[in-house]
Amino acid sequence: MSKPLLTGYCLIIYAFLLLPILVVVGASFNAGAFLTFPPQGLSFRWYVVFFNNDVFMRAIRTSLWVAAVSTIISGVIGTMAAMFYIQHSGRWKESVRLAMLLPLLLPEVLTAISLLFFVYSIGIGTKTIAAMIIGHVLITLPFVFINVSAAMESYDPSWSLAARSLGAGPFTRFRRIMLPLIKPGVIGGCLFAFIISFDIFTISFMLKNIGTATLPIQLYDYLRTNFTPEAAAVSTVSIVLTLAVVIISEKVLGLRIHRF
Amino acid sequence: MTISARSAKPFLLIAPAAVLLGVFLVLPYINIGIMSFRNPGNGSPYAPGFTTGNYLRLFSDSFYLVQVGNTLMIGAITTLACLVLGFPVAWQLARSQMRFRGLAYGLVLSPLLVGIVIRSYGWTILLGNNGMINRTLINMGLIDRPLALMYNSLGIVIALVHVFLPFMILPLMSAIQGIDPSIEAAARSLGAGRVTAFRRIVLPLAMPGIQAGCILVFVLSLSAYVTPSLIGGLRVKTMAVSVVDALIDTFQWPFGSAMALLLSLTGALVVLIFARLTRMKWKAN
Amino acid sequence: MTEVSIEGLTKDYGSSLAVNGISVKIADGEFISLLGPSGCGKTTTLKMIAGFEEATAGAIRFDGQDVVNVPAEKRDIGMVFQNYALFPHMTVAQNLAFGLEMRRVSRSDIATRTARVLEMVQLSGYADRYPRQLSGGQQQRVALARALVIEPRILLLDEPLANLDAKLREEMRVFIRDLQKRVGITTVYVTHDQAEAMTMSDRVVVMFGGRIAQHGAPADIYERPVTREVAQFVGQVNILEGRVVSAAADDRMAVETVLGQFAVRGIPAAASGTVTLALRPEAVELAGPGTDGTQATVSASYYSGSLVDYRLTLDNGQTINVQTFPRNRWSAGDRVTIKVDGDRFWPLGASA
Repeated sequence: MSKPLLTGYCLIIYAFLLLPILVVVGASFNAGAFLTFPPQGLSFRWYVVFFNNDVFMRAIRTSLWVAAVSTIISGVIGTMAAMFYIQHSGRWKESVRLAMLLPLLLPEVLTAISLLFFVYSIGIGTKTIAAMIIGHVLITLPFVFINVSAAMESYDPSWSLAARSLGAGPFTRFRRIMLPLIKPGVIGGCLFAFIISFDIFTISFMLKNIGTATLPIQLYDYLRTNFTPEAAAVSTVSIVLTLAVVIISEKVLGLRIHRF
Repeated sequence: MTISARSAKPFLLIAPAAVLLGVFLVLPYINIGIMSFRNPGNGSPYAPGFTTGNYLRLFSDSFYLVQVGNTLMIGAITTLACLVLGFPVAWQLARSQMRFRGLAYGLVLSPLLVGIVIRSYGWTILLGNNGMINRTLINMGLIDRPLALMYNSLGIVIALVHVFLPFMILPLMSAIQGIDPSIEAAARSLGAGRVTAFRRIVLPLAMPGIQAGCILVFVLSLSAYVTPSLIGGLRVKTMAVSVVDALIDTFQWPFGSAMALLLSLTGALVVLIFARLTRMKWKAN
Repeated sequence: MTEVSIEGLTKDYGSSLAVNGISVKIADGEFISLLGPSGCGKTTTLKMIAGFEEATAGAIRFDGQDVVNVPAEKRDIGMVFQNYALFPHMTVAQNLAFGLEMRRVSRSDIATRTARVLEMVQLSGYADRYPRQLSGGQQQRVALARALVIEPRILLLDEPLANLDAKLREEMRVFIRDLQKRVGITTVYVTHDQAEAMTMSDRVVVMFGGRIAQHGAPADIYERPVTREVAQFVGQVNILEGRVVSAAADDRMAVETVLGQFAVRGIPAAASGTVTLALRPEAVELAGPGTDGTQATVSASYYSGSLVDYRLTLDNGQTINVQTFPRNRWSAGDRVTIKVDGDRFWPLGASA
């Protein structure tokens, strides 16, 4: 393919990737009662409706809370696992990596169903939010692991040895030397975990209960029966929240997030 | 480097992850395997005793077999479309030194940052009978009646391609980045034309990326729930949608388990055949 | 300061014996080098002294006290790593302060001690730089300063000059040696570079395959190597077969070689039959053809400024390497006469 042709083709693909997202954002400012096209004038009325809708506001709070708790748990467990993987896994390295990526490689819907049956058979059930948090930790763990182990790859083990020779014990070595040096990976992994947890659907859908619906679930339920632009307003707010997290991580902290 | 036994035991670092994955991933998968052989319950999710009836019911009912076939077909078409559409983009991202490379990379990543419900919702706005595409075409006078873009396999494929395209582009991009451009130049200097150089040099070297991307997209397509459910509506159901409905709406746990496992195993079989055909060693991700 | 005594030190990795029962005593203030090819166990030995590797068997004593069960962070050693291992997120001053903070030294003492050591390594103006802002040689000196500022009992250096270019490496040899003498610290230096070991050390320990092949002063190692391996590792050498003819004066034995008959030292009186002799290339002198000595043909010459290396072919086809000052120059094809002093031959034992 010649250069201009390739560039043109790529632009079409980028447009294709952005189109549905732009459409949702655009629809949220529609003044009409339905998703009509062309829109019937600009308005913020659906944002007002959304902000006064307790169901959605509760769902946002649930989502943020679940994402925060899951991120903290995955952040700690995933960072520890990445440390083991890089420094101590030896000839088990490939197996450890594969095991840690398992939640990503297995079909999410099957994982969700398996977990649903399992929490019932061991008596946890879905009455509390615990089951949903377990599911979110499972799915977000690989993202923390990938990001932290990528950062650990460029961590020179002789830094730890040097600190040891200077008299630093294990905890001091971690706190003063390793953590500051792998921080970009830890923060990047946690931010990604947060976004994934905030957006994830299938796991939440299977493990939800009355009162523990997250924003994507509430949105999905709403979409099955309603067609007002309120859903677009909800979506736009969700996109903006996610975008804010990404922009903060990319610009302010100067991070590159590793998805793979 | 080995760590001395006196300092912290290294396996304590992996212990929490091992427990989490062991208890909440491995055990549940074993459990669902057992569940698929349980007797169906009446009023309760399942009854005591074991049976092969759930699988027999699946294999004897052409409705489900057709559904499995449809799901595999949608997955295969989605994968192929992602590969064909994504390769040039991955190529450009990997090779060009353009100014907006960072922005382009961000554009490819951006759909991943938007929840799947929202993206599917975007497609319902676009593809519906009263949607943006049909309205525009009608207003332009190109068609009289809306095209059937939604509530069919076409709509599902379009939306799935959008949802999973980044998962194809990213591994392709890293594979292409790993190919030294001078290797291709060397092939050209030895007399290979553009097409030959691509077919004999670039394609084999990019194969691990192609394989990873295809497997990822195919597996994700098979287990996708939200997109087929919102776009396909009640009319076109993929296997994943049927499974979830069987469990959520009708509480048929043993039968739902058998369905989920059948889908996953057929998917795994297709992936294995694909890996064998592309003559690459199976390497996860 | 500290005297180090290593007895029967062994490291068994299960699949291989990295260090096989080595024993060596290092006197207080002594500079000792562990010299050998990669995989000979020198670095593993250093790591065991540092406490980064656990010894499978044997003892390591600092001033008579066994430290084998003391963790690395409590051994009070200063270590310089091959890649320096400077903490990239800390300035030079913070790197130096780290060890002192671990020892709960007061803030003001940290400042004075850091400044003093930085002056010692001639980096006074660099306290607030980050490691990445320094050249390789400067990083090297910071690493040295960081190890010394804690005033450790012993100083361990793991191929610290390996990443520097040739000229800087030679400067740093002198710098480190002078500094070590000034501080008077017991030092163990690991290297695979024989010139480095020779110029810097009081004593050199040559290791092969996890064992000590020879230890002694640099001149002993070079001039009186015990095995062919050692002879070849510490420099170029001609290996010649000789036949013991008879006893000669002053504990020497008369030995017949391709270069003629010589009275050679160091051969046991009881020896008979063949012996293997080492002859350093610079021990051979060359003269014009036809003079008294063995005749040979120059097959190649390599001029390197201060010295010339020749490859000579004897009339029986054997090759002899010779290194001389470039006073007389010969070129390929010239006939020359080889002259050797019998005292420059040294018998080699069988390789370990």
